[in-house]
Amino acid sequence: MMHFLAANMAPIMFASLVVFLLIGYPVAFSLGACGLFFGVVGVELGLMPQTLLQALPLRIFGIMQNDTLLAVPFFTLMGLILERSGMAEDLLDTIGQLFGPIRGGLAYAVILVGAMLAATTGVVAASVISMGLISLPIMLRYGYDRRVASGVIAASGTLAQIIPPSLVLIVLADQLGRSVGDLYRGAFLPGFALTGLYILYVLMVTMAQPSWAPALPKEARTIREDDGSPGLRSLGVVALLSVAAAVVFAKLRPAETPTDELIVISMSVGVGVAFALAVGNRLLKLHLLSRMAERVTFVLIPPLALIFLVLGTIFLGVATPTEGGAMGATGALVMALARRRLDFRLLKQALDTTMKISSFVLFILIGSTVFSLSFQAVDGPIWVEHLLTSLPGGQLGFLIVVNILIFLLAFFLDFFELSFIVIPLIAPVADKLGIDLVWFGVLLAVNMQTSFMHPPFGFALFYLRSVAPTEDYDDRITSRRIAKVTTGQIYWGAVPFVLIQILMVGLIIAFPKLVSTGAGGGPAVDVDKAFQQMQKDSAPRVEPPATFAPDGGASASPPPADPPADKAASDDEAMKRLLEATTPKKP
Amino acid sequence: MAPLLSLSRLIDRFTAWVGRWVAWLVLAAVLISAINAAVRKLFNTSSNAYLEIQWYLFAAVFLLAAGYTLMRQEHVKIDVVSGHLSKRTQIWIDIVGLVLFVLPLVYTVIRLSLPLAIRAYEMNEYSSNAGGLIRWPVFAILPLGFLLLGIQAVSELIKRVAFLRGLIPDPTQKAQAKSAEEELAEQLAKEVAEREKAALVGKP
Repeated sequence: MMHFLAANMAPIMFASLVVFLLIGYPVAFSLGACGLFFGVVGVELGLMPQTLLQALPLRIFGIMQNDTLLAVPFFTLMGLILERSGMAEDLLDTIGQLFGPIRGGLAYAVILVGAMLAATTGVVAASVISMGLISLPIMLRYGYDRRVASGVIAASGTLAQIIPPSLVLIVLADQLGRSVGDLYRGAFLPGFALTGLYILYVLMVTMAQPSWAPALPKEARTIREDDGSPGLRSLGVVALLSVAAAVVFAKLRPAETPTDELIVISMSVGVGVAFALAVGNRLLKLHLLSRMAERVTFVLIPPLALIFLVLGTIFLGVATPTEGGAMGATGALVMALARRRLDFRLLKQALDTTMKISSFVLFILIGSTVFSLSFQAVDGPIWVEHLLTSLPGGQLGFLIVVNILIFLLAFFLDFFELSFIVIPLIAPVADKLGIDLVWFGVLLAVNMQTSFMHPPFGFALFYLRSVAPTEDYDDRITSRRIAKVTTGQIYWGAVPFVLIQILMVGLIIAFPKLVSTGAGGGPAVDVDKAFQQMQKDSAPRVEPPATFAPDGGASASPPPADPPADKAASDDEAMKRLLEATTPKKP
Repeated sequence: MAPLLSLSRLIDRFTAWVGRWVAWLVLAAVLISAINAAVRKLFNTSSNAYLEIQWYLFAAVFLLAAGYTLMRQEHVKIDVVSGHLSKRTQIWIDIVGLVLFVLPLVYTVIRLSLPLAIRAYEMNEYSSNAGGLIRWPVFAILPLGFLLLGIQAVSELIKRVAFLRGLIPDPTQKAQAKSAEEELAEQLAKEVAEREKAALVGKP
């Protein structure tokens, strides 16, 4: 009996963890209790050293000093203040007007605004609620298909999960032992590619079923010139001027400027030009710009300024992600104050929510630390490694199994739980298999994004349900009767987007270059270029030494059990990893 | 049971009071971090004290708020199974969780971390970084945070037992009037209505 226990302690402990979690008591304490129970039993049975639990306070002190996770409250507060600042409403309103006249325009506007909110540390719940209350009624009013409308809104809200700066990437970076900046860089292109895929989906819908996403009728376009023209030409001129300014500026920079720096600074120059034009026009009363051009420029400035303040400074290396979060939160507070949207009660509420979120997140980490303390003592990680490395298909087999596992778990667990419970188990195995952990983290982040869209538990769907009309109502503008949105419609609307998400996971595995990893490779923002690049990459090639992502060609033919190219390349890298592993940096 | 229930009410008031004050530490951490980052870049000076106070505050926020978070029932759980159980069974799960999960963990952490805090105090230990801060306050936050958690766990336990005996209404109903999401939705709905009204007036 003792022998059996001692030999199978790891699987027994893992099975108990599942039971402990399913009991339905808060995850943080279930994890901790499971670890504590086995720690005490293990020590009593002599399976673990007497001093096992002595390490616990030191591990928790390590969590308290964790500079990466300090960014969690900062970005949470930033998101909470921003969602009440009126920025989302203005954006949805104006961009909706801008794209409204084309078929599927409102859907495009929702996707683009979703991406932009995501880049200013969007919060999924807030994005979905804003879009559900502002854009959904307009879409329903003008006859959008309910499934398309609700699916687009729910999915665009979840972009906040993958487009930096997002909380999930911070937590993943911490658990993978990689820098947050690297994960942000890596997630950039997949985030934009996803946005592109959503747009593509809407485009396909408008071609296959034009009546599902009609253009706004004339009377619904409120931003117009006095003579009734939309005023797009002057907007085009402003856009052209700012792009030209950005390009000229970029060309003038010395050639050795790093790509990220070039992109960030040139974009700021372009935006600055547009802003100067709009302000000059208004101050000097020139009336050169149309209303649309002025509105679009002014409405885009706050989010772009915040994006620069946070992401710009992080990519330029001026600020750490934690500092970026603090500056972003301060910027959001200033903006909300300036717009008279921030009062004492709201501030208190935002601080209260931030505190509770920080506490529950960090306590899950404390719980999982207690668990892993005992789990390591019974050689649990080795057991998991044997389990996962014995899978057929090497790297690819591992990736497929892990992704299916995460996809299924995401039905029940949110990303905090996944990151703190599952990632510590699989990350070392991925590392052993020679998978780049930055790449792996971004891949998992895209996968985990589905946890917000899975019917019936997905949070985005839940929040959309809470604001979508549950009964037929009379529209105030058109005085027409509008039918309610059923829960089934919301669920079915999400399905195509879950499929897009799976497609994206497949694309990242097939074309590892989609995630820029390692030194030198800055974020390639230009999607067109990236797709050209992808095409080139899909041709057979030798893996460049610095990259650890699995070979793109591997998906076509069954991969060799042990890719020799990777093996050879990993020699240098192995030393570096060893050094990294021996430097103390995290619990 | 009555004296216990008054004790529980007392604890709840105390925890709410702690939560109200600790929340402001979030703002302090944000402002210190932002100012520190700006000053470092602009004037090229920085002090380890400013870097260290950030994680002191961070640690204080999530540890001292643990009891408050427990009271507000914001520690996330997996309710795939328990969601289908009866109210009484769920309350029993809570009682088991409080007695067998939370309290032993609280006891273990306090027993192991308190000596470290006391030693740091007695030795007057300072951070090894130049200009670093004194260590014992942050060491003391760990047992203190778990103590607050333990106290609140006792109050939660009393409330659960009282409910099973039919003395009080369901304590797991969220006490707060509205969540942040509900407030946001309300504000937006009001704005949309106003805009629509304005649009109708503007029409000829």
